[in-house]
Amino acid sequence: MVENSVDPVPVLLALVPALPLLGCLITILQGKLLGARAHLPAVVTIAASAVCSLALLAGTAAEVHGPDGGSEHPSRPVASVHTLWQWVHVDDAIHGVDAVSGVDADAPEDAATRPFAIDVVLRIDPLTATMLSVITCVGLLVAIFSIGYMHGDPGYPRFFALVSAFVFSMTMLVSASNYLIVYVFWEAVGACSYLLIGFWFRKPEAAAAAKKAFLVNRVGDFGLAVAVFLLWMTYGTLDFHDIVSADGTIISGILGQTRLTNADGIVGGTVGTAICLLLLLAACGKSAQAPLHVWLPNAMEGPTPASALIHAATMVTAGVYLVARSAPLFVACPDALVVVSLVGGITALIAGLIATVQNDLKKVLAYSTISQLGYMFVSLGTGTLLGFTAAIFHLVTHAFFKALLFMGAGSVMHSMGGVIDMRRFGGLRQLMPITASTFLIGSLALAGVPPFAGFFSKDEILASLHARAWPGGHGDHAEETHAGADPLSSETLATSAATTIVGDARAPFAMASMKANAADGHDASDHANDAAHDEHAEATTGSLNNPTTWKAIWWMALFTAGLTAFYTFRAVFMTFTGPLRVPEEAGHHAHESPPVMTYPLYILAAASAISGLWIFSTDALGSFLPATPSLWAPAVASTAVPHLFHWDIAMQGTLAAAIGIAIAAYGHYGRRSDEPQMERYLGSLGTVFANRFYFDELYVITVVRPLEMLSSIAAAFDSYVVDGLVDAIGHLPPSLAGVVRRLQSGLIQRYALAGVMGVLVIVASLVWSLKQ
Amino acid sequence: MLDFSEGFTPATHLLITLAAPLVGAVAAWLLGHRGLQAVRQSAAVTSLITLALAGTLVLRFLGSDAATAGGFFAACELEWFVSGPLDIRFSVGLDGLSVWLFGLSALLTVTAVFVSWDAVKEKAVGFYGLLLLLEAAMLGVFAARDIILFYVFFEFTLVPLFFLIGIWGHDDRRRAAVKFFIYTFAGSVLAFLGLLAIVLWHASHTGVLSFDIATLTAGLTSHPLPMTPEWGYLQLWVFIALFVGFAIKVPIVPVHTWLPLAHVEAPTGGSVDLAGVLLKIGIYGFLRFSLPMLPEAAAIAAPWLVALGAIGIVYGALVALVQKDLKRMVAYSSVSHMGYCVMGLFALEPVAVEGANLQLINHGLASAGLFATVGMIYERYHTRKIAELGGIASQTPWLATFFMLFTFSAIGLPGLNGFVGEFMILAGTFQRAWSGVSAEWSSTYLTLSLLAVAGVVLGAWYMLQAVERVLFGQTRGATAGEHGQHAHDLAWYEVAALAPLALFIVWIGVYPSPFLKASAHAVTASTQASSEAFAARVSASPTQEMAAHTTSNQHAP
Repeated sequence: MVENSVDPVPVLLALVPALPLLGCLITILQGKLLGARAHLPAVVTIAASAVCSLALLAGTAAEVHGPDGGSEHPSRPVASVHTLWQWVHVDDAIHGVDAVSGVDADAPEDAATRPFAIDVVLRIDPLTATMLSVITCVGLLVAIFSIGYMHGDPGYPRFFALVSAFVFSMTMLVSASNYLIVYVFWEAVGACSYLLIGFWFRKPEAAAAAKKAFLVNRVGDFGLAVAVFLLWMTYGTLDFHDIVSADGTIISGILGQTRLTNADGIVGGTVGTAICLLLLLAACGKSAQAPLHVWLPNAMEGPTPASALIHAATMVTAGVYLVARSAPLFVACPDALVVVSLVGGITALIAGLIATVQNDLKKVLAYSTISQLGYMFVSLGTGTLLGFTAAIFHLVTHAFFKALLFMGAGSVMHSMGGVIDMRRFGGLRQLMPITASTFLIGSLALAGVPPFAGFFSKDEILASLHARAWPGGHGDHAEETHAGADPLSSETLATSAATTIVGDARAPFAMASMKANAADGHDASDHANDAAHDEHAEATTGSLNNPTTWKAIWWMALFTAGLTAFYTFRAVFMTFTGPLRVPEEAGHHAHESPPVMTYPLYILAAASAISGLWIFSTDALGSFLPATPSLWAPAVASTAVPHLFHWDIAMQGTLAAAIGIAIAAYGHYGRRSDEPQMERYLGSLGTVFANRFYFDELYVITVVRPLEMLSSIAAAFDSYVVDGLVDAIGHLPPSLAGVVRRLQSGLIQRYALAGVMGVLVIVASLVWSLKQ
Repeated sequence: MLDFSEGFTPATHLLITLAAPLVGAVAAWLLGHRGLQAVRQSAAVTSLITLALAGTLVLRFLGSDAATAGGFFAACELEWFVSGPLDIRFSVGLDGLSVWLFGLSALLTVTAVFVSWDAVKEKAVGFYGLLLLLEAAMLGVFAARDIILFYVFFEFTLVPLFFLIGIWGHDDRRRAAVKFFIYTFAGSVLAFLGLLAIVLWHASHTGVLSFDIATLTAGLTSHPLPMTPEWGYLQLWVFIALFVGFAIKVPIVPVHTWLPLAHVEAPTGGSVDLAGVLLKIGIYGFLRFSLPMLPEAAAIAAPWLVALGAIGIVYGALVALVQKDLKRMVAYSSVSHMGYCVMGLFALEPVAVEGANLQLINHGLASAGLFATVGMIYERYHTRKIAELGGIASQTPWLATFFMLFTFSAIGLPGLNGFVGEFMILAGTFQRAWSGVSAEWSSTYLTLSLLAVAGVVLGAWYMLQAVERVLFGQTRGATAGEHGQHAHDLAWYEVAALAPLALFIVWIGVYPSPFLKASAHAVTASTQASSEAFAARVSASPTQEMAAHTTSNQHAP
């Protein structure tokens, strides 16, 4: 898998993060000098980085599809890793891990010791290439948009330095090939987010929101840290990739080929589930999933372009990336998977409900982001190849249309003199036709109206979920045959056996595992004769992992689809239709935004309109992503299904969207936006939604206040008990007290003399001994 | 020994480095009549020359065998008190344990001089003279290879600092200085008794009265201090004596209360050296004496010290959270952060111990930076009350930027140095908890290591809360008033004080490997005996290791 170093891949791969870093440094050092042109380093370097990313994407795609250029399913994993520098190396740090992993059969069982070796290694594979392209392309458009949006801000250079720093950190995060390096940049993007939320630090709300975001994310990071410790203890490495040492021995990485093709390579059971749930906790923090979603709405205090880039399109999807990257770990733990879906489903529903009563346009979009990310988690939790690719598909389309919507909101805010409360303006399509029409396209995409982008990605998510909730021939008796581990009907399985990725290297294994699947409905990572493991799996299969749960998640997801359409179009109608009203803050300058802001809107609108149809019709991601080692793993790949369009599911999704839009139109189309329309029907429920289900209040009561109380008690204990005891002891012996008195009565000079004498003695004796 | 015919040998280099601050102190005294400018310039020149000497010495160390194979570099000894049976030598040298702390001492003295540039105008001769004496003592502590010489320098660090606090401190400086002195002095007297016991035991069992640390370590390995009831568990008592001395220095909760008082009252320059270097001597003492010389006792004490470390992390963080004085908050953050070092050291896992050793440097840089910036804030606004400060970032952006950087380092943000040490400590402790202790200890160890990881969240809370209130928001109180209008951003000497710290904070964060490598051999060597003793205790326990924990799934087939 390690390629020659003469090819351009490593250079491009290093350039993708290195260029924005360079841009950041130039902006920091020369920001004052550049003045109003301080955006140049950031825009130029991110553009170059985007070119490199697209080149890598093209190169990887060519490699996946082979020289004939066909779009057949990939026959082998495509990945290459490139070491930059050694970060930490501790010899003989862990013993007997090879025995634990059960993979390196050649290694002597007990004698093996492993170093704690962390290298900065970058990787490129289809998943990374996709993520890199999305990050840099959206990053570029946001940077260009910001030229207009941030114009005249006193912190203009600082903003572009931070955006470059973010693009650097985020590209490193998705191309790192080691869990610890992922953790490093996981927190680094958090720091960039902290600084961008607090960009207007003079505003107390912004400063508080920044702190809140960092701390809530730290709770998630706690999960990631402990997950990394557990991975280190379980696998004796933190690398994704295999390392072939000089003498030919292979240190199998956690997500490396050796381990993935070994049926027992990935640890399941209690430890595996713990690892997955901790990774999920981390993902919940970064991707704002319940119950750690509370920071994202407050994060809207930051500049709108930053919200578009970080808190909508890219950083918040890091959790989705992490779970997708760790797919083999999750697939080995069905109990963890169902929790992923459940968290996603509940989050999607809750956030959707809250969004229906928000009057701040950015807050609507923030809750919508939380809700859509929940959708991606629902999809990831299905644990099927379709689910993972659908999540990434939705990640890509969501990046386009949500960045578009945020920048549209930014455009509105820019022209409304900073006002973003939808009740204070209306009918803006007369003033800002470009913003209105592009915003409408983004809304159609978000609402899942065919043929816009969101429709296709959402449809694929619903399809993957449907396969879980109604596992075909197994029907409601599926528990007996472990529907949790095998979501697919026997028919689809039979078809998939013919069409799935059947790689040359692992073909016999894949076929064997398919048979095993069909026979007893078990996950491919379980051998049929793996009795002990089976017992374990049965013992730990919780009551959650059954079709009823999946059906509940399905209905939550479908209902959320309707909610999404409703709140999106409620916002569209409140903002752009009805009689023209402009707040006085806008003055007489209310007008369409300058071209530097509208061109990015055009581009993103085009992407939001056609990317879904294009990706779906060519199966661009479905044939590309499965070559990622994590998704190529037999346990994941064996769940592949043919690429089909499900009319029944599409109809249900479209119907939900249509109902949502219809209700929104009934309530808000053409009306004055300051007259409450829908809230009156909700009654006290509306109050609950408006108060965000009281999550913040709950945290204050259960976490913040108790900790503050504990702190006060600790501080008082420290002053009066701990220090009081010391003082009491100090005053007990009269002789000691006498010393204190004498020291206090001005004899310090005498002590100084003693000190100097001491030094003189040392110096003198030194000199004396030199003479000897 | 000072034989220049062999060129500038490492030994000569080391001796000159040790002498340079003393020469500088005399020079400052001689220049005293020429006024403040001459004095502080001479002090700055001296500290820079010393830093250059120490820096090049560290570089020479890195190129030597000592960095790769262990042992002492630049070793040299001069007869000192050699008469009759006494053989106390002025023997110095650097090894992997001491080399970074040696360099840190020289670096932080430069910072201490420059942060005092405008702050200390009265009795400047005495101030800078004492600061340079303090540097000599700090360099000496880490270079000493003779147990008596170590102790002399160890004690001698107290004296200059006592006067720095007592004379140039703030309102309650007398009480703080006396408390600091008596508290740490009482501890170190006990430590001295412990060290003497080691020397005497060694002498009576090998027939050689030696004060050489390496000889003593080797001797105690072949003739360990007894851990049997008939000897009254002598080794444990010696360990406790040393522990009291070193624990007060670190400081380990609950013997930490001298620290906040001393810091709050100390002048900024004194705080920089106190937090940056002097606290490290405690951990250094454990690494140099307790762990290699008293392994069985260390193995018994290890679980308790891991617990004290974890408690210290959370306790320090909680107390820091409600502090109203910015400097006091930073002082409690030191208590919390030194908890990590204690925990990592006594986890006795290679990853954790190397992390703890690196964390000494990391904390030295970050806390020195924080104390320095807090001092600069005080210079401008004449208050350290958090409630009186606000919106500093809009008045002095570069000061705020540095404060932010040191905060990020302190809360262990990846990419900066604090993360590397903290993560290694936590990972190593977790490893110890997961598979390295007996079953009955495992859950306790796991709880403690998870408590410590939770401390990372608390650490971010109090630091970022302070940032929010002090740096961000609208100006208020002192910053809104007259002082705020006249507040200027960093002067050149303040940049000179902070920039080197920032450089190393980023450097160690991005590329920690060389810093770890140079110490790896020495750290492993000095903890090996204790680690083996601990492993022996674990395997002697009735229930076997917790390996079953991790292997149950994989071994099933």
